[in-house]
Amino acid sequence: MALMDDNREEVVNGAALASFLAAGIGAFAVGFFVIVNEAGLFAAPALYGPAGGVSGRTSFAAVTWLIGWAVLHRRWKDRQIESRRVHTATLVLIVLGIVLSFPPVWRIFA
Amino acid sequence: MDTRLFSDRSVWTMIHGIVLGGGALMALAAALFSLRAMRAADPANVAAQVQARYLAWLVVFAAAALWLTLLIGTYVNFPPYRATPPDGLTDLSQYPRSLIQSNPETVWLHALAMEIKEHVPWIAAMLATAVAFVATRYRSKLLTDMRLNGMATTLLAICFVLASLVGVLGIFINKVAPLE
Repeated sequence: MALMDDNREEVVNGAALASFLAAGIGAFAVGFFVIVNEAGLFAAPALYGPAGGVSGRTSFAAVTWLIGWAVLHRRWKDRQIESRRVHTATLVLIVLGIVLSFPPVWRIFA
Repeated sequence: MDTRLFSDRSVWTMIHGIVLGGGALMALAAALFSLRAMRAADPANVAAQVQARYLAWLVVFAAAALWLTLLIGTYVNFPPYRATPPDGLTDLSQYPRSLIQSNPETVWLHALAMEIKEHVPWIAAMLATAVAFVATRYRSKLLTDMRLNGMATTLLAICFVLASLVGVLGIFINKVAPLE
């Protein structure tokens, strides 16, 4: 069974890199929606009142992640992509997303 | 008089932090170890094909547990945490955020710890989902392609650090102002 399953293995790396880069985009989106909220530029509406604004910010980020993933997957799924640049871009986006989600950083923009 | 040992809010907090959060952390640690220990140079390695199937289930479990942890945290635990107490109430034990903010020595637990807990877990869940997708779709290639393995390991390691940090912050908050 495992061997049969593995016969369906992907050969090209496009789908994998699309999912990695989309995760980076999603991570950055989390930080982005947090920082624009703290800077008073855009407040995502609360999608669930009792949870407050966090429900809107995180939902917007999740939707951005899923849209980014869908677009990248569609474009790259049958292609072999040079991975080094994608890995670097993914890590940069993740680090930016984490930094922008860190409360002491908000004071710089607030 | 309520004679139950644990309130509903307390039970949900335990499901959130211990059952799901703890389960996700254990699965992430096991997946990280497996990604490194099971690497194989030979793409035709039969052992790698079998191991890759178990690894895929492990990462899928970790990602699912992370999503459930953060969804329960955001939509079940967080609303009673941030509820506003009635004017003039002196016993704030049922209003954790207000209780934390009433003491200058614990204000940081909301201003830093809870603010991080509100957002960072979503990043961790996205990273785990990406690796779960790759583990499911690429199977043993995740163990035999060193670049793919390296990136998946890096993302899971970041995910593990973030989830651990958030877990520790949650413990701090729950020690000072538990949802009871």
